[in-house]
Amino acid sequence: MKKSSILGIVVIAIAIAVIISTYSNTSTYGSFHDAEKTQDELHIVGHLNKGKQLYYEPTKDANYFSFYMLDNKGEECKVVFTGTKPQDFERSEQIVLTGQMRGKEFHASKILMKCPSKYTQDKIETTEATATTKQANI
Amino acid sequence: MDTVFKGEHLMPGHLGQFFIILSFGTALLSTISYYFATTQADKLDQSWFRLGRLSFYVNTISVVAIGSCLFYIIYNHLFEYHYAWAHSSRTLPVYYIISSYWEGQEGSFWLWTFWQAVLGNILIWKAKSWEKPVMTVVSLSQVLLSSMLIGVEVFGARVGSSPFILLRNAIEAPIFSQPGYLEFIKDGNGLNPLLQNYWMVIHPPTLFLGFASMIIPFAYAVAGLWQRRYKEWIAAAIPYALFAVMILGTGIIMGSFWAYESLNFGGFWNWDPVENASVIPWLVLIAAVHVMIVYKNSGHSYFTATLLTLLSFVLVLYASFMTRSGILGETSVHAFTDLGMFWHLVIDVLVFFAIMVGLLIWRWKELPINKKEEETYSREFWMFVGSAFLGLSCLQLVVVTSIPVWNAMFKTHIAPPTNPITLYNIFQAGFAFVVTLFMGFTQFLKYKKTDTTRFFITTLVYMVVSALVTGLIIYITGLYKLKFVFMLAMFGAVYGVLANSKILSEALKGKIKLAGSAVAHIGFALLLVGALIAAGTSKVVSQNETGVIQVKGFEKAGDARENIMLYKNQPVQMGDYKVTYIGDSLVAPNHYFKVDYKRYDAAGKVTEHFILKPNSQANAKFGLVSSPDTKHYLLHDLYTHITAAPIKEEENMTAGTTGDSHEHEANDDKNYEPPVPYQVAVGDTIRYREGYVILRSLNKQPKLQNIPLTGNDVAVGAVLEIVSHDIKYTAEPVFMIKGGNSFDFPRKVDDAGLKLRFSKIIPQENKFEITLYQQPERSKAYIVMRAINFPYINFFWAGTIIMVIGFVMSIFRRSKELKVV
Repeated sequence: MKKSSILGIVVIAIAIAVIISTYSNTSTYGSFHDAEKTQDELHIVGHLNKGKQLYYEPTKDANYFSFYMLDNKGEECKVVFTGTKPQDFERSEQIVLTGQMRGKEFHASKILMKCPSKYTQDKIETTEATATTKQANI
Repeated sequence: MDTVFKGEHLMPGHLGQFFIILSFGTALLSTISYYFATTQADKLDQSWFRLGRLSFYVNTISVVAIGSCLFYIIYNHLFEYHYAWAHSSRTLPVYYIISSYWEGQEGSFWLWTFWQAVLGNILIWKAKSWEKPVMTVVSLSQVLLSSMLIGVEVFGARVGSSPFILLRNAIEAPIFSQPGYLEFIKDGNGLNPLLQNYWMVIHPPTLFLGFASMIIPFAYAVAGLWQRRYKEWIAAAIPYALFAVMILGTGIIMGSFWAYESLNFGGFWNWDPVENASVIPWLVLIAAVHVMIVYKNSGHSYFTATLLTLLSFVLVLYASFMTRSGILGETSVHAFTDLGMFWHLVIDVLVFFAIMVGLLIWRWKELPINKKEEETYSREFWMFVGSAFLGLSCLQLVVVTSIPVWNAMFKTHIAPPTNPITLYNIFQAGFAFVVTLFMGFTQFLKYKKTDTTRFFITTLVYMVVSALVTGLIIYITGLYKLKFVFMLAMFGAVYGVLANSKILSEALKGKIKLAGSAVAHIGFALLLVGALIAAGTSKVVSQNETGVIQVKGFEKAGDARENIMLYKNQPVQMGDYKVTYIGDSLVAPNHYFKVDYKRYDAAGKVTEHFILKPNSQANAKFGLVSSPDTKHYLLHDLYTHITAAPIKEEENMTAGTTGDSHEHEANDDKNYEPPVPYQVAVGDTIRYREGYVILRSLNKQPKLQNIPLTGNDVAVGAVLEIVSHDIKYTAEPVFMIKGGNSFDFPRKVDDAGLKLRFSKIIPQENKFEITLYQQPERSKAYIVMRAINFPYINFFWAGTIIMVIGFVMSIFRRSKELKVV
């Protein structure tokens, strides 16, 4: 057999291994309901329940932050994050959590949030623009 | 309804828009002309050729003109234009106006067309017989890029996004129905504070020069296939490919340095999709360069060389699709959002992908593919294998980064790996091991055929030495705590350094022209060494072990508690350092927190003392944005950043005001614990929680502003010395009797969290009543910060510089070899 064919086979084998391992390493998007049933880490997309209190008291513990989140199915759960409150958290529009359920609490290892102001500037700009209109009326 | 708007400057916008259309038109004309100039049978007819050149010149001028118009708009704060309003503000210094220039997508597209125009002119000057076909391709790319800026509606769909769109057209709001709306738009939104960094002035231009220059090897490959100059194009394209690799690599590392200096994820590389998007084409082009050199020296691997060269540019376009189309939405915080150009970007990728596939199929039978087997002990064979592995490492990056793309294509709903960084690290370390190993022993092989015994002896000797060195490094740095694959990668990198050093020392003795690749390889291997140690053994110094209140269920989380909390002026032991948050300084719009670091020796003497100033910007638009500050040592860095601080909005940031206004007295008292009155004589000491206060003396003529004292009025100041956590303060509260009534003027010592009142004079006992207001612990000024130690990170930066030097040497060598006809 030619060397190049052997090499080709090796390369293809590794390529397949890469793809399979990628696939096996991917996780799933789920809900809090799914999280209760599994021990694995998973991603949950949802948004902050702005009606409930965020808890972050750095004077008591700088590494404890908790809040209530509604997942995309509308289910609410308390989320605990070991770390400081991400900057501008209140303004987040969407949150993607990575983590797992521990008892009644969801322990997030990673929080990714989307703030409307930073990424689609035009939305926040509209509110600013209307504020100036009021000024004009006075 | 046609409203006439007041105060708008429409001229620069109209002019800019005109040049955008002109640049698109001339790019198109240039493509067509160069195409016919290439294909026409009559070789003496120069008219198409001249037209092609002329239109490319006009295109260059229009691109420069677009840039000038845009600069004029931003520089003069013409906020009637959306781009200026969205990305700049009046307070921005000039050099950051330059970075606001390319903060938006339109500006960065412009940057790309600009570099492409510059490179096109260099090709017109240098490419000689290659000019016609190569410029056809470059112009075509210019057509597609400039179409991204058009921003005109065609058949109901907006094509591209223009930087000259007016604010009133970009946003719908009632205000824009007023003719004088501009009077209410006083300032722009400003630049994202994270981009207000000098690296952001030079990183994007470098990166985009890198992206833009990748069109050249692609264009040469296309030209070679198209004009059946199969063998010639490779030698001509190598210097340009090396140039692209060098610039893009520099740009990527600059970005990494910027992230390290001003972002707070705590590191220099995060495998963010945006980072991956620029590394993927870079690695593919590196593989391509190696295979091109293989072909040039041995005649083998023609197809792979061509494929990789073509693919590298298609991947550049794919990367720009990923970062600009908004498809990365849920996986990256850095990507741009969709500007309605999703399909436009897709078309861009598909056009060039089709060119690649089409040409390869069309010329398949004619390709000079060598049917002969390579020798096993030949340099070309192992260079080829190494490049294949480089390609595989890219494949892994592409497959994982593109998960959102797969989701969009196959309507699946797969989430990215829960811990992508670990996944990338492990895979890429594995590939790095293989690639660096090849990078090492291939140096001992010769093209065509090698003496095997000698090869095995040198390879083995170097392997043994590297293993010893690696063992030592692993032992010293503590890398053994990590996964085995990282140790393998370290071994590979050390081997890469040593083997190439041998080549370098030989080159210095005589074969100097071979030095370039050796230097670049050493640089790359050192970069890996630095990255492995710094990322692998970086340690959070700010381990939180102090007695914080335990929150229920917290221990179970088991995560490292990486943030420590510092009250103002209360020293905390952190690792080897005693750190104190000693104060703030405000340089609008940044809020700097001064953190004092002291290191003591066994005898308690201060051996080291420095102050770091990490900052936060409480930006109305962007929220609280923090940037770290780093103490650089030769062998490690101490990195500090603020993760939380009680500052909210810009308005509240008037720090350091020691107001004593009476109106807010009652409210102000709420900020303190219940007052405690003390009756003291001169010289007495009052002890309180954090220190003590001494009544030093009385001042019979205290300074009082705006209060005239008449004959019977008395005012006395109590001169107090306050010592809190070994720091001295003074304060002088005043007691006053005016018109038969008594008043007093309290004084605050914010840094010590105290308010002091001179509340009564008790003449019988010759005592004075001082009332002490202490701030409760929780409302005192504090910061929460994180400090990380990055060992040996300078290898990473030094390796980069060495690598670039190596590239420069190689470019000179390869262009000297080349006699362009």
